[in-house]
Amino acid sequence: MKIKTNSKKDKNKIIGILGLGSMGKIIAKDLAETFNGKAIYLARDVNSVKNLAKKNDAEIRYADVSKPKTLVKAFKNIDVVIHAVHHEFNLDVMKACLKSKTNYIDLGGLYHYTKKQLKLNNQFKKNNLTAVLGIGASPGITNVLAKYASGFLDKVENIEIKIGYKDFSTYKQLSPLSASYSIQTIFEEFSWKPAVFENGKIKFVEPISGREEYKFPKPVGMQKPQYTIHSEIATLPYTLKAKNVSFKIAFDDDFVDKIKMLKEIGFISDEEIKIGKNKFNTKDVSLEILKKLPKTIPKRINEYEIIRAVVSSKHKKIIMDAKILGINETIDKDTGIPPSIIAQMIADGKIADKGVFPPESIIPEEDFFKELSKRKIYIYKNDKKIN
Amino acid sequence: MLFDFVVLGATGEEGNITSKDLLESGYSVLLCGRNKSRIKTLLKYKKAKFAYVDLNNIEKTAGILKKSGAKIAVNCAELRMNINAMKACLISGLHYLDLGGLQEMTIQQYKFDKDFKKRKLTALLGCGSTPGISNVMAAYAVNKMDSVEHIEVGFAWDSNIKKFILPYSIESIVHELTTDPIVLDNGKFKKTKACTFEGALKFREIKKQNTYCIVHSEVFTFKRYFGKKGLKFVHYKAGFPEHSFKVLDAIIKLGFGSKEPININGINLRPIDFTREVLKKIDRPKGYKETEDIWIKVYGKYGGRPKKIEMDCLVKTLKGWEDVGSNINTGMSISIMAQMLNKNLIKKEGITAPEEAVPCKSFFEELAKRKMYIYENNKRIN
Repeated sequence: MKIKTNSKKDKNKIIGILGLGSMGKIIAKDLAETFNGKAIYLARDVNSVKNLAKKNDAEIRYADVSKPKTLVKAFKNIDVVIHAVHHEFNLDVMKACLKSKTNYIDLGGLYHYTKKQLKLNNQFKKNNLTAVLGIGASPGITNVLAKYASGFLDKVENIEIKIGYKDFSTYKQLSPLSASYSIQTIFEEFSWKPAVFENGKIKFVEPISGREEYKFPKPVGMQKPQYTIHSEIATLPYTLKAKNVSFKIAFDDDFVDKIKMLKEIGFISDEEIKIGKNKFNTKDVSLEILKKLPKTIPKRINEYEIIRAVVSSKHKKIIMDAKILGINETIDKDTGIPPSIIAQMIADGKIADKGVFPPESIIPEEDFFKELSKRKIYIYKNDKKIN
Repeated sequence: MLFDFVVLGATGEEGNITSKDLLESGYSVLLCGRNKSRIKTLLKYKKAKFAYVDLNNIEKTAGILKKSGAKIAVNCAELRMNINAMKACLISGLHYLDLGGLQEMTIQQYKFDKDFKKRKLTALLGCGSTPGISNVMAAYAVNKMDSVEHIEVGFAWDSNIKKFILPYSIESIVHELTTDPIVLDNGKFKKTKACTFEGALKFREIKKQNTYCIVHSEVFTFKRYFGKKGLKFVHYKAGFPEHSFKVLDAIIKLGFGSKEPININGINLRPIDFTREVLKKIDRPKGYKETEDIWIKVYGKYGGRPKKIEMDCLVKTLKGWEDVGSNINTGMSISIMAQMLNKNLIKKEGITAPEEAVPCKSFFEELAKRKMYIYENNKRIN
């Protein structure tokens, strides 16, 4: 997709992408197609991104999230850093941003990290910086959908977020464990107790619980979303003053069975395990083993995802859907595109408030939806397209 | 201290059972392995002592065997160590027993026949439940026939609580479920696809279960010892309860059974070694009980008429052995055979197998003492 940008390239506007994994690559693609400034790829393995940087006319800088000093140096003169490495590094990267005076964006903090990150609000404000937490598909689009819907209600009572997905693709080769996002995150989502905001209070329920049939609009249809730890619950109850907030995501039965099995027999444990004379973290070894599995090779990608926020007051219900069709491109773009949009809004001065914000507190909903529409991500309010 | 027996791989689950049975029978046992901490309970027996043995070092192992004063070494280590253990026995002059080598290893082991004969030593291969009990049951049935055409053999087990508990060595399971097995088909060995579905069968005291054709040494030894009676077909069928098979299948498909080392922080680690340690941590829940049926069906002729004999060895979790479930049938069986060899009830020299060397009735009697019951056409005979 090539989106026309009216303005000429402004090399003084700089966005950095920290981590060029599968999400980082989607962000890089969107920036290359839509950003009229300069992109800098911040990578631990500089060689691995050389071709991509050449193709997209981007600069490369060495940065290793496990070595904060390298971050401060690498972030120099960058307007916004999009953190696309794993969320366990969110706080370290934010602290590096404070030192390098760089605005910050990430893809989410699985509730617990988000809570800690929000505490840096005063420091970001003091340093005249903006941090937007969790601006992918979910968290991200979900939060903005809920915020938009809340504008049509006097008082928000309930927010139910549900994610459904259907894969119609054909494959040359199918991995025995195909996941649409990081297996490490999935391990955490399946092991950590999900937070649910109920009657004005946070409670933690069992992982993989609440798995009930739910009918999404066609073509996604019947799915079984389950409670999952997610950062929407860390912010929406307070920003939109809701009484009940829940988050559920659907995975197919076979996938759930496999991850559940790995969990039940101990492969996802964080415990140390001794093998011979050496000690290892069980979960880390499992992740390395799974990395060696044959990759999924699609013949023709044909995926469909619906990101739904049902927001209601006592008398009124608004159903917001983001519909993403992935033909010859994966629907993961719904996670990679929003940070590119928001980073550009910050770089362009369209988002100017200072501090640490969840998406619903800072993103201009309609402008955001417009940008999503340019990338074929369509927003529906009560089944009517609005972007 | 001089010992009656040496148990190699005593620190593993089967080695533990074997050693306990030998010690409970009053013998002195040198417990060999690499991790002493796993056999703290066994070391409480007065006649037990630990020796660090790494079977990769044949010379050193042979030295320890010789020094032990024992006449018999019982090898309960992983089957890939069988040849090393045999070589150590040849150097030190000890009789040898093991739990089986599936097909490839068993064929390799038979190549040492002359060496063992030359030293007037016995090497009894495949002495657990299956191979082991299954082979003795086969010999018992075959002896009652003039000719034999077809043998089906296998195992099936289930538990009262449907929680995944590793049924036996994960290394053996992965090998069995992923190696293309050889079956005896019309008198010829023929390769077939790993883990082919062989149908759902009903078993004694176990509900209907799916069975799969897997690699096992019985196919090879039955042909060797019963071939002269006309044996033309042997099929091995493994039956796992659904809750267990599902997990084992996923472990393999997700790469956790791989022997290809991966690099973790500069250390090369085989996923199978990691998996073994992870699965060891799963405890049997309170009240968890297993039932296992080692079964064999022999089709042949007697007095010119077709004859079919079905044999079963039924094993249940035993009081005092709850932590090992039905696995007692493997460790106890090799202990019984080792004791029979010690008492000179097994006399055959060179490489041999239970169907050739083990006297059926006395073996069945010993099984009964341990509450493992043999059925011939549904009638208990021990």
